[in-house]
Parts: sequence; structure tokens; C-alpha cells
Amino acid sequence: AGVLAAHKITASSPDTDLPTVSGLRKMGVNFTVSNKDTVKSSDVLFLAVKPPIIPFILEEVGPDIEARHIVVSCAAGVTISSIEKKLSTFCPTPKVIRCMTNTPVIVREGATVYATGTHADVEDGKLLEQLMASVGFCTEVEEDLIDAVTGLSGSGPAYAFTALDALADGGVKMGLPRRLAVRLGAQALLGAAKMLLESEQHPGQLKDNVCSPGGATIHALHFLESGGFRSLLINAVEASCIRTRELQHLADQEKISPAAIKKTLLDKVKLESPSLSVASASKVSLFTNKSKKN
Amino acid sequence: GKVPAGNILASAPSEKNLESWRELGCRTTHCNLEVVQRSTLVFLATKPHILPGVLEEIRPAVESHHIVVSLVAGVTIQTLQRLLPPWTKVLRIMPNLPCVVQAGAMVFSRGTSAGDKESALLKNLLSSCGLCEEVPESYIDIHTGLSGSGVAYVYLFAEALAEGAVKMGMPGALASRIAAQTLLGAAKMLLETGEHPAKLRGDVCTPGGTTIYALHQLEKGALRATVMSAVEAATNRACDMAKD
Repeated sequence: AGVLAAHKITASSPDTDLPTVSGLRKMGVNFTVSNKDTVKSSDVLFLAVKPPIIPFILEEVGPDIEARHIVVSCAAGVTISSIEKKLSTFCPTPKVIRCMTNTPVIVREGATVYATGTHADVEDGKLLEQLMASVGFCTEVEEDLIDAVTGLSGSGPAYAFTALDALADGGVKMGLPRRLAVRLGAQALLGAAKMLLESEQHPGQLKDNVCSPGGATIHALHFLESGGFRSLLINAVEASCIRTRELQHLADQEKISPAAIKKTLLDKVKLESPSLSVASASKVSLFTNKSKKN
Repeated sequence: GKVPAGNILASAPSEKNLESWRELGCRTTHCNLEVVQRSTLVFLATKPHILPGVLEEIRPAVESHHIVVSLVAGVTIQTLQRLLPPWTKVLRIMPNLPCVVQAGAMVFSRGTSAGDKESALLKNLLSSCGLCEEVPESYIDIHTGLSGSGVAYVYLFAEALAEGAVKMGMPGALASRIAAQTLLGAAKMLLETGEHPAKLRGDVCTPGGTTIYALHQLEKGALRATVMSAVEAATNRACDMAKD
């Protein structure tokens, strides 16, 4: 996204057949199958694996972690303290930052929050913020809010996709061709979101501005209210947040032997894996080395 | 307090309604004609089915200087004008109950011959009883649904609030008084700050706090939609009744 030169980025994945791999290669990112190599050649490490895999990865790269490294975990439900605990056997003061982002980073409209660990400095946090701000909105939060963020903006795109699918259905029912209905629905939500972000006004006020007395919109809104639209959304955010906490709790409680870890890891890697890659970026002085690549 | 009581003449067929007027210092009579003959501004406050008879009765005495204001529910300006001399200055008003405590909400519309002067007079006079606004006649039924009947919705809500408190252990009388004060205070803030209610609501909701938990329950119960439906039902009923 223009903040960092692609060749300063190294990505590693055990499985080289993944579409993500070829995509990254096309961008000019350095690629390796060795997590160890990645760690050695980088300053900032993004752990982009599924939460259950995190402990295994940390075991693997732990010995190579040095004081300079900033370990950034995007794994849902994995706490800073669990990562620090794992790494502390290898490095006395590991710098850990936990972040939660969402899929629209792909189109540079992500929503990212991060919380800094015990040994991460203010500049480390700012570095991450600058990186993630290039793909959307990014701000620091207290770690205990990350579950709520997951429920809202982490899962949020799914709620939006569901809404858009249904809105398109509505359009189709009333006679629009599907493609047009999808396009218009998406644009409507995009536009509304943009208006809200750029306006000082409360969403309730913006809603009122659209509702002319006795008009079409207010009739439609009445239907939404009758269906408990608002409460459904509140329920959704709540459920996602609670489930995140549950999963975190389950993860914290898991105690698996290292040997079993290694075996499971290899098997899992070969079988599962769409999002199994560890990408990392070199630390650059951001005030002088901004690159326009990618 | 805008008009001296002595300048007000009230008429009714029987004594029972007139006593309270006399207590206020007003003059009373049993003769509607007398009221019209001796007054400029005449308020019609009968039940809908009585009105045509009364209009028939007073019609001969109505002159061009008279201003006739009808508070009669469901009787349109068109009907009023039909039953009175053609050039009569007619206005139609819909008040609500809290007018009696000077916190009413009233809307009025003017007929063909009523002008700005009459409109201003009425508004000026009645503002002492609360909010008084001129509107197109089509809004009058909506006002019924919103504010005429609306007062009852508020009573219902107040009762429910108090019951919730009683369930949680508070004595009923105290709960009722606090419920009423809560509604009064919230309404006052709305009127005085001019802020959007959604904003005021957000201001009360601290993250993860008691209010947002409670609001979630209200949303689950689709309170908003229910209230919208109530206003709609009352408005539609007002329209239907007017047609009879």
C-alpha cells in the first residue's frame, strides 16, 4: 500500500501452492518456506496464522527472537500475555503487539486496532499504526476491548455482506437485474458509511434527513423496526464478542506437549491451510524511506 | 392569564359543567345564542354528534366580525364552513390533555376566510397553555395519533417503568413519582437542548454500562416499531371517525 517497499517484505509459508503465495510473489515480496529465515532477516514479524497454530509457531521461532524484534499477532483471541509467556523462555523482554484487523484491508478500507505489550515502546506501536493506516483506519486500544472490536468490525463485513445479499434480493424481487441490484446496494452502503464518517451528525439525524414525511423510506424503516433490526445487530456483535472470549479461554487452557505440537503442525499444515503464511516486514525509517511500490 | 375571567362567557345545557367556570370568575349561561351575540371569539367544544345542532342554532347570530374556533374532534373545516355563513372566519384546533396544566400541545388550521390576524390571535392566546402551532389541516389527525392519544402512551410507559422498579424492590408510590419525574426531565432536556434524541440517548450510554443493556432489551421488544404502529393506528382511526 505504498508505505513499504515490497522487496523489504519477506513472507514464509510451508505450503508453496497457495494462491496467497503466488500473489505475494507477484508483488515482489521475498518468499521462503523457512520461518526461521524470515525471523532472521526481519525486524517486524506479523504472525498471520490461525489461533491454534500460534503456540507452535512461537516455539519454532522463539530461539531466533532477539530484542530488536517486534512480534505482531493478528490471531483472534490470543492474548498478549500468552505470547509474552511463550517467548519469555527464549527472550527476556519480547516486544509484542496484538492487533485485530478485518478483511477490507484488501481494498485499503480496513479497520484495525492494536494493543501494545509490556515491552513494546510507544514508537513500536506508532510503527505498526503507520503500517496499518496505509490499508485503512488504525488506532490503539486497551487490550480488553479487542474482543468487542472483533464482534463489531472484525465480523462486521460479514454482517454487511449478508445485508447486501438481502438488499439485492429485495431489488430483484421488485424487478431489478441481480448484478445491478448488487452494485446499487453496495454503493448505497458505501455512500452511507462515507457520509457518516465525514459528517459530524449522529446517524439518527442522518437517517431522519432521508425520511420525508409519509414517504417511502419511513414506511420501509417501520418494517425494519418491526423485525427488531436494531436488536439483531446488537445481538450479533454481542455473540461474536462472547464467542471470541470463549475461544480465547479455551485456547488459554490448552496444554499440549511439544512433540504432539510438531506432529500436529505438520499434518495440519498440509491438510488445512488457506491462510497459513507468515509475512514480515523490515523496519525502515519511515521518515526517509517511503517507497511507492505496490 | 391573558384574558380577564369576566370577559369569558361559557354556555352549557346543564348546570354541572358550568360550576367550574363560575369558580374561575367567568360568566355563564344556558343559551348558546347569547354567547355568540355577546362575544367575538367563540370556541365550540361539543361532542361531534351534537355540533351540527349547535351550529344550526347559532348560525343566525354569526356575523363577519366573529371568529369561530372548533375544538370538536373529527369535524373538518369543510363541514364547519358548510354549516355556517359562507364568509365566517373559522379555525379548527386539536389540543391535548396537558393543556390543563399549561403544558399542552395544540395544532390548529385556518379556514378559507380566516387570515393572519385571526391565526396570530389564537396562537397568542393559547400559547399560555403550552405549544401552539399552525399546521395544514391534514396534520390534525396525525397530531391526534401523536399527541392527543400520545399522552396515554406516556402514561402506559410510566406505569411500566414503575412496575419494573417495584419488581426490583422499590415501593410503588415512590417508583411512580420517580418515573414521572424521569419522563418530565428527559422531555425537558429534549426541548431545551434541541439535540436529536438519538444523540441524547447516546450521551447516557456509557460503554458496557447499565443503560445500553436496558436499551438492548427495549430493542429486542421492538419498542420503536410498536410505538410507530400505535401512532399510525390512532391517526387512521381519527381519519375514519372523521368520515362518519
